[in-house]
Amino acid sequence: MRKLLKRPDLGIIIGCLFIFALFTLYDPAQWFNWGTVSNIGEYTAILGLLAIGQSFVVLIREIDLSVGSVYGIVGIAFVGLENNNVSDVLAFVLAMLLALLVGLVNAALVIRGKLSSMIVTLGGLFFYRGLIYIITHGAVTGVPQAVRQNWFAQLLGGHSLRIQNGFLLLLILGFLCAVTLHETRFGNHLLALGGDPASAESRGVPLGKVRTIAFALCSLFAGLSAIVTLTNDPETSVSLGTGMELEAIAAVVVGGTLLTGGRGTMLGTILGSFFLTAVRSEIIALGAPPSWYVSFVGIALLTLVTINTLLLKRLRISG
Amino acid sequence: MITGSDGQSRPAGSPKKPLISIKNVGLSYGNFQALTDVSVDFYQGELVGLVGDNGAGKTTLIRIISGIIPPTSGEVYFDGERIIKFHPKKAIDLGLECIQQAIGLCDNLSVGRNYFLGREPVRRILGLPFLDKKKIREASAKVVHDFGLRDSVDVDDEIALLSGGEKQTFKIARAVTFRNRVIIMDEPTNHLSVRERTRVNELAVQLKQQGLLVIYITHDIFQIHRIADRIVILENGRKVTDVPRDAMSAEALEGIIRDGSRTSTKEPKVS
Amino acid sequence: MRAAIAHLVRRHPEGGTVTLVVLISLTFAIVTGGSWLSTGNLQSLSQLTAVLAIMAFGEAIVIATGQIDISVGSVSGIGALTFLGLAPVVGSGFGLVAALLFGVLIGGINGVFVAFLGIPSLLVTLGTLFLFQGIGYAVTSGFSFAASNVVRKQFIYNGFGGGTVAGVNTGVIWALTILVVLQLAVFEMPVGNRLLAIGGDAASSFSRGVNVTRIKFGVFVVSGVLAALSGALDAAFIGYADGSFGAGMELSAIAAAVLGGCHLAGGRISLIGTLLGAFILRGIQSFLIILGVQPQWYILVVGLIVVLAGLADRTLTRLVLKR
Ligand SMILES: Nc1ncnc2c1ncn2[C@@H]1O[C@H](COP(=O)(O)OP(=O)(O)O)[C@@H](O)[C@H]1O
Ligand SMILES: [Mg+2]
Repeated sequence: MRKLLKRPDLGIIIGCLFIFALFTLYDPAQWFNWGTVSNIGEYTAILGLLAIGQSFVVLIREIDLSVGSVYGIVGIAFVGLENNNVSDVLAFVLAMLLALLVGLVNAALVIRGKLSSMIVTLGGLFFYRGLIYIITHGAVTGVPQAVRQNWFAQLLGGHSLRIQNGFLLLLILGFLCAVTLHETRFGNHLLALGGDPASAESRGVPLGKVRTIAFALCSLFAGLSAIVTLTNDPETSVSLGTGMELEAIAAVVVGGTLLTGGRGTMLGTILGSFFLTAVRSEIIALGAPPSWYVSFVGIALLTLVTINTLLLKRLRISG
Repeated sequence: MITGSDGQSRPAGSPKKPLISIKNVGLSYGNFQALTDVSVDFYQGELVGLVGDNGAGKTTLIRIISGIIPPTSGEVYFDGERIIKFHPKKAIDLGLECIQQAIGLCDNLSVGRNYFLGREPVRRILGLPFLDKKKIREASAKVVHDFGLRDSVDVDDEIALLSGGEKQTFKIARAVTFRNRVIIMDEPTNHLSVRERTRVNELAVQLKQQGLLVIYITHDIFQIHRIADRIVILENGRKVTDVPRDAMSAEALEGIIRDGSRTSTKEPKVS
Repeated sequence: MRAAIAHLVRRHPEGGTVTLVVLISLTFAIVTGGSWLSTGNLQSLSQLTAVLAIMAFGEAIVIATGQIDISVGSVSGIGALTFLGLAPVVGSGFGLVAALLFGVLIGGINGVFVAFLGIPSLLVTLGTLFLFQGIGYAVTSGFSFAASNVVRKQFIYNGFGGGTVAGVNTGVIWALTILVVLQLAVFEMPVGNRLLAIGGDAASSFSRGVNVTRIKFGVFVVSGVLAALSGALDAAFIGYADGSFGAGMELSAIAAAVLGGCHLAGGRISLIGTLLGAFILRGIQSFLIILGVQPQWYILVVGLIVVLAGLADRTLTRLVLKR
C-alpha cells in the first residue's frame, strides 16, 4: 500500500480510472464505440511516443521545447523523400538520422556550449519550423497512396487485429523504455543524474554521455511519432506538429514525472497521453468546440501537477 | 554556577529569564529526524559553544532559531514570548543576526547591496522609496575597510568576485556591524586563515563582553573550550551535554563527542 | 584592458545588445537602400517593438527572480479580446480596466501556484497558457472582435494604442513610460534589490529576511498586467482581434529578454536590453519583409539568434566574473 502511494504515477492512475468510470456511466454508447477507441488509440500513440522521448529529457532535469518542430521536420523529410521515389525503408532511415542529428546538436549545445536546454531548444523550436517553411515553400503533400499500401508503411501505420500498429508500437517501446529506465545501468545513471547531478558525477556517472543519449532519444521518438502519424494519415501541412511540444510536456508531467528530475515512470507518461487524448475525444463527441480541449489540457496540467507536488510534500513529511 | 531543576546550567547570580528558550524541539526533513526533543536555554551576555559531529543537527537548530524553518514539534521562546510565526525577518527584527554556514550572500549582487539586503536604506523622493546608494556605498566600504578586506574590493562589484575567505569575513562583518542582541556564528572560521580565526574568536569574546548573547558553532571542541562560557553538545539530533566550561576539560568533552559518533548509526561519507 | 572591458560589461549587461542594434540598423539601412529607415517603416517598427517590449518587460521581471512565464501570449490575447469586446458595450475606459484586471487575475493565479504552492513556474504558466488560449478561442468561436467607428473615436482607445501623438503610436509612449518606471523600481528601489537577490540565491535572500513568497507572487501579477496591456495596445492598433491573438508571442517575449541580456537562471536582467532585444527581433522581421524574402526566414533567424545570444552571453559572463 505504502509502495503504491509512493508511485509517481499514482495521480494519473487514479485520473484514468476516474475518467474511465465517468465516461462509462455518462456516455457508454460513444465511449465503447470501436471508432472512438480506434481514434483514441491512434492519437495516444502519437502523443505517447513524443511524450516518452520527452520523459527521458525531463528525468534529467532538462526540457526539450523543440520536439514539435522536430516532429514536423522529420515528418516532412520522410514525406519528401517518399515523394522523390526513395524507398520507404531508406526514407525512414534517413529521416530518423535527421532526428538523431537534431538530438545530438541539442545535446552538444547544452553540454559543450553550457547553455540551458530551455534556450537551446527554444532556438530549435523556431529554427526547424522556419526551415520547414523555407524548404517546402509552404506546400507539402502527404505520403503517396501507393506507398501507404507497402508493407513498411502498413507496419507503422496499419492495423493488426483491428488495433493500430502505432498503438502496439507505443506499448512495446514504452515497455522497453520502462525496462531500460528501471532495470539497466543506463536507467540508473539517468535517474541519478536527474536526482542529484553532483553526487551522480562524484559516483562516476558519465554525465555527458547520459545527457547526449537522453536528448537523442527525445528527438528520435519525436521523429518516429511523426512517421507513425504520416503513414497512417495522409493529411499533412507545414504546421505539422505546431504546439505539440507543449502537449508532450503536459502529458509527461500529468503522468507524474517531476520537472525537477529523477522521478517518473513511462507508464505514467503513456497514461498521461491516454488521459489527455480520451478527454479530447469525449469533448469533441459532446459537440463542444475543440478549443475546449486546449483549456482542458491547461486545467489537467495545473490540477495534476498540484496534486503530485502536494502528495510528494506530504509523503516527505509524514515519511 | 548553579544548576537549574531542569538540569541546565546558567551563569551564577543570574536568576533572570533566558533570552532564547528552546523547549522539546523536534524537526524532521521528510523521513529523516534531524532533531529530537531538544531543550536548551541561552542567556544574555554569554558565549555558548554549540558543538557536535558533522550532521549532528547544529545548523538545523540554528535554522530554527533564525526563523528559516519552523520546528515540527516543540516551542521556541524569545525573551519570554513564544514564537508562533517563523520567518527570518521576524528574527532579524527581534535583534538576531546569524552568520549562516552555507548561505547568506547573493552572488549576483554587489558587495554593498548584499550588505544591506533586506534592510536597504532609502531616500524618499515624492514619497517613493529610492535606494540611498551613497549611504550603501559608504557604509559598506567602511566595513570592508575596517575588517581588513583587500583595498581592491570595490563595493559596487559583484560579491562573486570575492574569494571564499573574503566572503566569510564579509558575512561576519555584516553580522557584527548590525549587532543587536544575539549573534549566531555557524562554523564561522571555515575558509579562514589561522590569523583570521584568532580574530574571529577574539571578536566573539568582545561581543559577549558588550552584553550580547553569542552562540558559536563548531566541531572543534578545543578551539571553543578556550573561549566559551558554556558548552552544549548535540549528537544525532539530541542534546547530550550542557555544561559550564569549567565543569569539564576539553579532552573529556572530546571523548563524549568521539564516543557518540562511534555509536552513531550513520555510515561515514565516502566522497 | 581586459579588466576595463570586464568592468564595462559588468555594469552594462546590455552592451552587447546595443552593439548589435547599431550593426543591424546600419546593415539594414544600407542593404535596403534606405527604405528600412523610411518614416513608414520606422513608425510600424516602433509600434511592433513597443507591444513586444511591454510583454517582454514583464517576462524580464519574472526571469529576474529565476522563474519563467509562458502564459503571456494567452494573457495578451485575453487582454485584446476583453478590450475590443467590451469597448463597444461599456466604452474603452472600462474595457481597458477590465482587460488589465484579467491580467491581474491570470497573473495572480500563476503567482498563487508558484509562490504559495511551490509548483514550477514553467508548468503552471504552461497550464494557464493552454487554459486561456482555449477560453480565447471559445469566447470568439471563430469570429473576431472589431472596433466600431464610435470606439475608434474614443479618447482612451486612441490613447492606448489606437492613435498617434506627433506621428508616434501611443503604444510606444506607454512602452517608454513603463520602461522608466520598471527601471527605477528594479535598479533604484529596495524591492528591486530583493527581486534580483531572489533570482541570485533564494535561500540566502530568505535568510536575510526577504519576503520571497510575496515578491514571487508580485512578479507574476506584474507580468500578467503588462501582457494584458500589450494585447490591448496591439488590438487597438490593429482594430480587431480573434481567438488566436497573441498565440506564440510568449516565445518572442522570452527571446527578446534573452537577447537583451537577461539570464534565464535569474538574478541578472537588463530592461533597456530587453527593449533593444524586441527592437532587433522586429527589425529583422521588417527587414525581411522589405527584402521580399519569405517571411518565414524570420522564424529561422530568431531561432539562431536565441542560441547565439545565449552563447555570447555565457562568454561575456565568464569574462566578467573571472577574478
Ligand atoms: N534540507 C535538508 N533536507 C534533508 N536533510 C537535511 C537537510 N539539511 C540537513 N539535513 C540532514 O540533517 C542532518 C543534520 O544536518 P545539520 O543540521 O546541517 O548538521 P550539522 O550542522 O550539525 O553538521 C544531517 O544528517 C543532514 O544530512
Ligand atoms: Mg552545519
